[in-house]
Amino acid sequence: MTGEVTGVAAPVQVAGWRRAVSILGSLQGYVGLVLVVAFGIVTRGDTFLSQANLTNAVGAFASRGILAVGETLVILTAGIDLSVGSMLGLASMVSAMLLVNQDLPPVVILPLCMLCGAAMGLVNGIGSTWLRIQPFVMTLATLSVFRGIDRQLSDNVSVGTQVAGPNGALTGHSNTFQLFGTPGHNLFAGTLGAGVYYPVLAFVLVCVLCQLLLSQTRFGRHVYAVGGNETAARLSGVNTDRVKIAVFVLCGLLAGFAGPIDAAYSASADPLAGTSYELDAIAAAVIGGASLAGGRGSVVGTFVGALILTLLDNVLGLNAVSDNLQLIIKGCIVVVAVVLQRPDLLRSLAHFVRRITARTGRSS
Amino acid sequence: MRTRAIARPRALALAVALATTGTVLAGCASTAQTPASAGKSGHFVVAYSQSNNAEPYRAQLNIQLKYFMEKYKDVELLPIADAKQSSATQVSQVQQFIQRKVDALIVSPNEPAPLTSAVAQACKAKIPVVILDRSVNTDCYSAFIGGDNYVAGKKAGQLAVSLLPHGGNVGELQGILSDQPQIDRDKGFRDAIKANPKIHLVVHREAKWLKDDATRITGQWLAQGQKLDLVYAQNDPMALGGYLAASSAGKQKSIKFIGTDGLAIPDGGIRAVQQGQLAGTFIYPTCAKEAAATVEKLLHHQKVAKKSTLDIVAVTPANAAALYKQNDFSRYR
Repeated sequence: MTGEVTGVAAPVQVAGWRRAVSILGSLQGYVGLVLVVAFGIVTRGDTFLSQANLTNAVGAFASRGILAVGETLVILTAGIDLSVGSMLGLASMVSAMLLVNQDLPPVVILPLCMLCGAAMGLVNGIGSTWLRIQPFVMTLATLSVFRGIDRQLSDNVSVGTQVAGPNGALTGHSNTFQLFGTPGHNLFAGTLGAGVYYPVLAFVLVCVLCQLLLSQTRFGRHVYAVGGNETAARLSGVNTDRVKIAVFVLCGLLAGFAGPIDAAYSASADPLAGTSYELDAIAAAVIGGASLAGGRGSVVGTFVGALILTLLDNVLGLNAVSDNLQLIIKGCIVVVAVVLQRPDLLRSLAHFVRRITARTGRSS
Repeated sequence: MRTRAIARPRALALAVALATTGTVLAGCASTAQTPASAGKSGHFVVAYSQSNNAEPYRAQLNIQLKYFMEKYKDVELLPIADAKQSSATQVSQVQQFIQRKVDALIVSPNEPAPLTSAVAQACKAKIPVVILDRSVNTDCYSAFIGGDNYVAGKKAGQLAVSLLPHGGNVGELQGILSDQPQIDRDKGFRDAIKANPKIHLVVHREAKWLKDDATRITGQWLAQGQKLDLVYAQNDPMALGGYLAASSAGKQKSIKFIGTDGLAIPDGGIRAVQQGQLAGTFIYPTCAKEAAATVEKLLHHQKVAKKSTLDIVAVTPANAAALYKQNDFSRYR
């Protein structure tokens, strides 16, 4: 259905075409999600669809999902950010330390963490552009550096975010901090019934904002242009370095934003928090249709990819599938989902079928 | 195109240089926290190779070892070497210490087999070696000090039996399935709950020692409609992760949680017992005090026990406050 577009090679208008393809591709990607959800409903109908279960499932993945959105922005420019897990870890440690040692209100902690994340992203961006280090290598280095800083700051000791005051009850700020995602603590509880679980809200909000950024702004078009064909983009007047630095800063900013969520989810900032999250983030983006070669993908797709990953884990868990088997199934699903994402899937399938029938027709 | 061809090797060299410095920096960052000398006038130099600084239990061990080593004025503890969970790194660190001709060596092996040859090399160089917690496959060391994971699991199982006199359903949150402590704690726990046939281990899953994984998995159990009376977690972070999931479902009062590790840190197990989140936990010994004493004896050519297994102390709501005070080393950091 989308086959005609892929062969087009004209560099400048290609971005627009590719965007259309990518959106169609991500629509096709819903098939994977539909399959997972259907599997969940068939095997564990009531349990799976219960609001508490879905909140748990999406909430558990929310911080990684937010990382995946940032990762998508970087991947769209044909870059990659391996340091997102370390950035999240450092931001979560910073948030817990600001809370425990400085007793700052969470509304102040959040922007500080985002600032901290943006600064880390700026380092990645500068290394990948002005120093002309490949993003893979640059962010591999900072993965190590940021983790080292995290561990040095914390002296390898986790920092609990449930701080008890002199009377044994939680301090006011520590109590508010729990709203960032400690299970069982919801925003607007009371006014909106059971309330809204902040990590889920934050994840959805980040997806909506970033999708709008990509599809509705000039910056978004530049992101696709840089990833689609960097030389063409530069020749047509796009400041490619600035775009690349911007996506790294945004990616860091989002990692900083996810930091307090991760700390609150475990009610504790662990010096190892976020280790290997970069793999989940990249997986969500790729399952969602992003091409590691750049220029193709969308935040909506990544959102779907993240849902596939977490709901699959949830469904397998609810069905008490053994841990070993889960690993195999999850890996296979990644392959299947990526194949389903391929925009020319139907065309090549039809081509294949035609060839087979032609051959059998000739031989008979 | 030509400029690109020239630029690429340069960019590559730069990238490699930066990645290297990055890694080295992170390495320094995690080892440089030790004060450079524990006693400049020391006559003996002691080195400690830690398998992974970043585990909370091992971070406590490091802090305590530094504290107890400082009590012996004739001993200088070198900055603790962190193998970062890599046996290969740890082998090379031990070999470096042998080259430095340290007077004694303490090793917390990451894995038994890979460290065996390195320990044998130290032994050949006549350096006394104290092995902590995980064994090596050679007898050529001076002393082994450790806890007993089977006993830790068994004591947790006995606590479960006493908490559930009329039987009930139990869930188990396991560490990484192939880790020896997981295997031993699991076996000990299962053996102990056999005492009451009405206790059923209905669910068990790998939460990889991690709090967030435990939260997610316990949430799934509760969504499944599992009627759980007790959850045994092989370490405290997993027990507390399970507790978070239960409290989000409003079931934290009806499910009892048992942990293991018993670290005296603000978000550790002892505090959680004090606050009523855990029904109990068990202090798995860090062995730091005993290791320091053993090294001191070895340096003065005194006899030490070849193998000592330390007790597992049960933390109950009654003794939690006292145990916290006794094991709290935060002021020495």
